[in-house]
Amino acid sequence: MHSFRNLLLTVLLALFTATAFAQKPACECFVKGVVKDRHTGQPIVGATVLIVGESNGVFTDQNGRYELRNLCPGNYTLECRIIGYSPFQQKVDLTAGHEENFNLLEQEVHLHDVEITAHRTDAPSSQPLTTISGADLDKTRGQTLGESLRGVTGVTTLQTGSSISKPVIHGLHSNRVLIMNNGIRQEGQQWGSEHAPEIDPFIATRISVVKGAAGVRYGSDAIGGVILVEPEELPIDQPVSGELNAVGFSNGRQGVLSGTAQGGLGFLKGFGWRAQGTIKRGGNIRTPNYFLDNTGISENNFSLAAGYRNKGLGIDVFYSRFDTQIGIFSGSHIGSVTDLLNVIQNGEPFVKSGFSYAINRPNQNATHELLKAETHYQFQNGNRLQWTIARQYNNRNEFDLHRPRNDSIAALNHPELTFKLTSLTNDVVWDHKPIAQKVTGQIGVSTLYQYNLMSGRPLIPNFNQFNIGVFWIERYVTSKWELEAGLRYDYRTLKTYRIVNREKVADHFDFSNFSGTAGATRNFSDRFSARLNVGTAWRAPNVSELFSDGVHHGAAAYEKGDATLQPEKALNSIASVKYAAPKWSVELGAYYNYISDFIYLKPQPEPILTIRGAFPYFKYTQTDASFKGIDVSGSWEFVKRTTVTSKLSYLRVYDERNDGYLVMIPPNRLDNQLKYQLANHGKWKDGFISIGNLLVAEQKRVPANSDFLPPPKAYSLWSLQAGATLRVSEKQQLEFGINVQNLFNTVYRDYLNRFRYYADDMGRNASLRLKWKFGA
Amino acid sequence: MRMNRKLTWMLLAGMTMAFVQCKDSGEAVEPDDENELITSVTLKFTEQGTSNVSTFSFKDPDGDGGNAATKFDTISLKPNKTYTLAIELLDESKTPVNDITKEVEKESDEHLFVYTATPGALLTYSYGDKDKNNYPIGLTGSAVTGAAGDGKLKVQLRHQPGAKNGTPTPGSDDVNLDFILKVK
Repeated sequence: MHSFRNLLLTVLLALFTATAFAQKPACECFVKGVVKDRHTGQPIVGATVLIVGESNGVFTDQNGRYELRNLCPGNYTLECRIIGYSPFQQKVDLTAGHEENFNLLEQEVHLHDVEITAHRTDAPSSQPLTTISGADLDKTRGQTLGESLRGVTGVTTLQTGSSISKPVIHGLHSNRVLIMNNGIRQEGQQWGSEHAPEIDPFIATRISVVKGAAGVRYGSDAIGGVILVEPEELPIDQPVSGELNAVGFSNGRQGVLSGTAQGGLGFLKGFGWRAQGTIKRGGNIRTPNYFLDNTGISENNFSLAAGYRNKGLGIDVFYSRFDTQIGIFSGSHIGSVTDLLNVIQNGEPFVKSGFSYAINRPNQNATHELLKAETHYQFQNGNRLQWTIARQYNNRNEFDLHRPRNDSIAALNHPELTFKLTSLTNDVVWDHKPIAQKVTGQIGVSTLYQYNLMSGRPLIPNFNQFNIGVFWIERYVTSKWELEAGLRYDYRTLKTYRIVNREKVADHFDFSNFSGTAGATRNFSDRFSARLNVGTAWRAPNVSELFSDGVHHGAAAYEKGDATLQPEKALNSIASVKYAAPKWSVELGAYYNYISDFIYLKPQPEPILTIRGAFPYFKYTQTDASFKGIDVSGSWEFVKRTTVTSKLSYLRVYDERNDGYLVMIPPNRLDNQLKYQLANHGKWKDGFISIGNLLVAEQKRVPANSDFLPPPKAYSLWSLQAGATLRVSEKQQLEFGINVQNLFNTVYRDYLNRFRYYADDMGRNASLRLKWKFGA
Repeated sequence: MRMNRKLTWMLLAGMTMAFVQCKDSGEAVEPDDENELITSVTLKFTEQGTSNVSTFSFKDPDGDGGNAATKFDTISLKPNKTYTLAIELLDESKTPVNDITKEVEKESDEHLFVYTATPGALLTYSYGDKDKNNYPIGLTGSAVTGAAGDGKLKVQLRHQPGAKNGTPTPGSDDVNLDFILKVK
């Protein structure tokens, strides 16, 4: 089943009023306020609020109010922990004016309102969650979703050239990584490795990665992890504000323009709206030594959102449309194995090219529409009901290099492949009120109805599928411990229709699965915490794994499906410890993901003969695979304003049933960055300069004789970044960013780029980014 | 209650949206007749000065996948003879059968047949036709056999739109077959 409540993932806003009051110059200060859910605007009952470093916390009452008393004047960090929300911290200054004010009334010593924004997350709290937002997200603007996530430890990309990239979490990708787009599970044609997620990252103000199996909360496919793409909450009753982003890239001479406007309806209380749009144009990509023919991109996206809040009731409506056309490098069209061996031997593509924005054959265009309505009702007693429905329509057209030879058919210029996938999802989630202020939980039902219409060269069958999932999760929280456990059941029925020898053949499949999760988080001190999670997830074989039968021209391989495949099941254990001191921090995570009945393409001893000659023959087969890895990240401010950050992603994958390795596993990598923070100067703030180095090892653990070319050598890339913000006025600011990737124009090929047989990876790419923010 | 009425209304609207779109994808499955295949390649050797015609074929009537190729003949020729060689390509997965040879002829400036014998002395091929740019095509030509021996004859159709220059290098293979060649 899938997701459920959507928006609810992001949620909460806490509005705190920090007040200092001292009757004597002694320890009589206090902090009080109310904790609210950002999404619903409703008070949260049973949230823990504590002062970091002091042992005693308090809980919010029936109205979400809390009060911490008997504090000495000083600087404190306030921490708020709520089940199902990301914990958040806020610094509070209780030094100002306490001595003079001891006779004043509370209202008069009210120092300031401290607004804290924390977000509700449905991700299991004991699983590592990395969020990219704010300035870090701004640095990735203009890039695709996959590229935006490359900075996260344990996350890499699977690429087809430079314009198509898919996120890889802990070595798993495509149908083994679930993307939740604004709370709705993204349903595109994810089985294809050259089918990138159809999402405009400009929609999001937060992109989070949940690492490890999270099948209970998110349903099928969440085997490697989950990516949460979340927009900001709607600005109910707020004045109009917005932003305009412009990014220019030197490589491909690509330009991206994106704007957002949002606000409330002044005359009508309780309403909020947002409109957003993005335009992207790029031309041929240049490797250090040559251009890649026909690698342009064109993208036009927009989204509209509106919402209404009235006491406990909230309604949100969201529509987005993503429309892209991507040229596929013409030198990657392979007719036969001879063609492939020739280009490998040549060392560079036979097709030469200059710069052009034109997108010719081969190319793909995809549109993705999402229409979603979400409504929630928070009952007076703390219970909450949320219901989300959504419809997605994914229309993908692929044009081959060659037009049909027959003139009358060629004149139609129809795509050689068309997929039209419609998905309807329905999620109802019930959050029960906190029991004894310590236990909360939720019960949910999700359904998915989906049908696929395909035309053109036979590749995958038409299908109808229906999925229902039921889950139940409970969480227990104290100031030291957070425990959680959950269970889920999924049932899926799939009907496929295909043509065999000009006759229609129908097949019927039923799959069902139980998933579970259990986890614990222990906070030893405000600096030191540890987490452990054991979770399962499952994935039913997709139609391409069941029914593929033909040559994959990008890979020069004959791929055959197997209609007897069983669902694959993952059992993932993940442990992490985190220590954060003022000048340095370290986070260490280790995981062991055991996937039984892992589906992969197994090389067959005999090649298959076709009219284009003999092709290596691969069959979808199941095995048991283990994914073991370590993610380490650390940062140290060793000189004032100067910080070094290191991230290591280490992964070993083993085919346990056949005692061997598996193909297409990302090599280990080490990412280092040195950053110097500039002092604020007048209207300029947040200035920085940083230099980075990415070291990617050679993948040596590959099965013997399974590939036309051994994995590429290790490579090292340097990058340079700088940025600053100019505060133009109270309500307007300009942000500037410069980013140079592959600074020394290094020639390299990446193992997870499917074009590594034909061409080098992208050369130097300098970008200039400008963001104008106005209002609010 | 006002709130309840609102919720009910939303529920109804949602249900309508969820079910109005359901359709059966099975009704939409149809064989695709626009999709071009080459399912058979036939080589026609005519011994010069006679009317002796020998034909050798590769046939995979359902295209890649499905059933294996039904026919892959061994080419058997006499030593030290000159033959006229014509080639025929068909798409037999369609009804009526689609003659791809004609399509290639029409777009001859984008196509090139390449005939390569190993060992080379077994058979020497010379093109007998030219496209509008004066580059060879290979729909007809002559083949001269050498002394008796066994080997292979590779038959390639290179698809070279916009790049044809008379050499096999540009473009990609539409046909790539290794026939067994016996000269005896």
